[in-house]
Amino acid sequence: MTDNNPFQRSLSRRTLLQGSAGLAVAAALGGTVPAKAADAKKVIIGAFADGGLTPFKDKIIPLAKSQGFDITFLEDEYGVTLEKWFADAQNKAGQYDLYLLDDPWVPQFGAADVLEDLGAAGIDGSNSDWIGPLIDMGYWPPRQGPRVKGFETATPTLVTVPFVGDLQTLTYRNDVFTDGAPATWDDVITKGKAGVAAGKIKYPVVFRGVTGNPIVTSWYPVFLSFGGEFFDDKWNVTFNNEKGKAAAEFFVGTMKQNAPPGVVEFDSDQEGAAILGGDAGAIIQYSGNAIKSDDPAQTKVPGKLDFGVVPKQEKAIAQLGIFIAGVPKSAPNKQNSIDFLKWYTSPDTQAKLAEAGSIPVTRSGFAVKDPGNRLIPVALKQLDAGALPRPRMPDWAKVEELLGNELNKALQAGSGGGDALDAAAKSVTAYLTQAGYYA
Amino acid sequence: MTASALPIRRERLQGAGLDAALPYLLLAPAVLIVLAVLIYPLYDGLRASTAFYRYGKPLRDVGFDNYIKLWSDPEFLNSLWVTVSFVTLSVAIETVLGLLLALFCAREFRGIRLLRTVLIIPMVITPVVVAIVFRLIYASDAGMLTAFSEALGGQPVQILGNPLTAFSGLVALDVWEWTPLLFLIILAGLQSLPVEPFEAARVDGAGAWRTFIDHTLPMLRPVLAVAIVLRTIDAFGTFDQVFVLTGGGPGQSTLLLSIFGYNTAFKFQQTGYAAALFVTMGVIVLALALAAVRLLKRVEAA
Repeated sequence: MTDNNPFQRSLSRRTLLQGSAGLAVAAALGGTVPAKAADAKKVIIGAFADGGLTPFKDKIIPLAKSQGFDITFLEDEYGVTLEKWFADAQNKAGQYDLYLLDDPWVPQFGAADVLEDLGAAGIDGSNSDWIGPLIDMGYWPPRQGPRVKGFETATPTLVTVPFVGDLQTLTYRNDVFTDGAPATWDDVITKGKAGVAAGKIKYPVVFRGVTGNPIVTSWYPVFLSFGGEFFDDKWNVTFNNEKGKAAAEFFVGTMKQNAPPGVVEFDSDQEGAAILGGDAGAIIQYSGNAIKSDDPAQTKVPGKLDFGVVPKQEKAIAQLGIFIAGVPKSAPNKQNSIDFLKWYTSPDTQAKLAEAGSIPVTRSGFAVKDPGNRLIPVALKQLDAGALPRPRMPDWAKVEELLGNELNKALQAGSGGGDALDAAAKSVTAYLTQAGYYA
Repeated sequence: MTASALPIRRERLQGAGLDAALPYLLLAPAVLIVLAVLIYPLYDGLRASTAFYRYGKPLRDVGFDNYIKLWSDPEFLNSLWVTVSFVTLSVAIETVLGLLLALFCAREFRGIRLLRTVLIIPMVITPVVVAIVFRLIYASDAGMLTAFSEALGGQPVQILGNPLTAFSGLVALDVWEWTPLLFLIILAGLQSLPVEPFEAARVDGAGAWRTFIDHTLPMLRPVLAVAIVLRTIDAFGTFDQVFVLTGGGPGQSTLLLSIFGYNTAFKFQQTGYAAALFVTMGVIVLALALAAVRLLKRVEAA
């Protein structure tokens, strides 16, 4: 053994630095090359936490993984997702490949021009398999209805595609409403009261009363069923017409009197607990809680909850509130997410989605022999009976907030729904005026 | 390097004027950091406050329009009123309770150390967690208060569904969480007071109340002023608890300026208007702080 043996040589500072630098470079290269290979079909999906996505998470993500997609599913609370994703898209932060948006957010993202043109990317919006009202929501500017200033002559672009076809339907207690789904609001209240008297339930109805989005979401199907219209084709407020006021009075008066005492502070978790816990007789809700109705682990009244089309006063129209997918222009794995969307919206995958218990977004999805949830055929009935999206405007969140505040105040009082709409109409008009809607 | 080489090199540096520049060079990183994280955001915020934004982008310069609009906006005025009410009520209650607790805990008795530790626990819990706990207490459907009430044959307790009770509930939360801060500061102040005046008072036969009014309170004034100022500034920025507990509702009864500004900036994307709001809020807090500093000086002079 001599001094030339490298293992015997003393380690100088220079040798140590050289060695460390070499190791760092090797580690960087070694870390980068395989990571790129692994990213081949990586898709980072952002979603807000909602029960409506449970079948997708449980069944479709594993299926996607088996198809070679490396899915990272990032969930956030509903209240913070809009601002978080908008900041991500606008600042080109590139933290997501796919946003699962709430459909009223499409105009905000569309107007800001931060989403990819999915039509140009090869997704065919004119395919007749899409459910018409759902694919319509994917376009900015909208293909139908009024448009905001600056987009009057723009060509509608497919910036998002429907992802889960959620919409409101009625969930009711079949031991209270023994003749099937109550057809009118009068039925809901009258038969519900009988159910309370018989000790089967505590309250005929339950809904959300929290100011802003929750209360407006609960009021909207009542408003639509009374024949209300929100805006005319020039964005003039029309929700405070006679029909709208009748709906508001019914909502803050009769419905409150027949709902749990704390309904003013109820959000989706409390209203879900009331229907799944066996306290309430009927509710209009999205699929998130509805699909738990047969699960004994999630409800105290399994087998006693059925689904139906929303009650009508004039019409039986529900609110559409779908999950809709958009690819940010800053997506790090843009092509992967477009490939994923093509795979996801294919007839085969939509059939799997329906079998998993989620509401599909294509007609063929509804045609599966064995849908995974009893709600799915009812959702199709509701789509055929009538379902409308919320107004396609970038300022819907503010409009909803202004209206929700007034409705919430009237709900606290238990009366004054018509006056609340007048006050909301005034503030909404003032807001839209300064935002340039009538310029 | 040899020993003789060092003076030569130093001379060269001095010759190049580097000696004079050295302090500035050493300060430069700190100055750059301050510019980047303090001055630039402030400048950017001020710039944004004079612009009209649509779809997340500045469209045009509107001068001071956003500031003028604030004072005719009923939502802003309501938020300002709610915030001032909340801060005044919370800080007043916290100060009184903090003072009482500090007076009690300033004495030495068995278990006092444990008691002092327990009393500051609320302050170290994350505000969001506190809000969630209070939500579980207040919820009318499954909350602790409702459970107690129903166990006693009563009705569900509705705290968050009524403007007055929701506001009071929010104040109660803040008092629970932040009284310990006042307690801690005042206790430290009490323990640093000189003992001679108190011994003299005792010799003179002064009672506890007289001693408190004539000695403790006057000597504690500077400490109290600092505590109140710190807490007031902090309370103006309260956000987490309200966001989780009430979201500003019912109606707009707990809509603090921080929540209103957050919604305006991020939910409704009126960035310019929100910037004007926050600048205004900053000016209000700054004015309060300056007034408090002047008050402190006056107290010290007295």
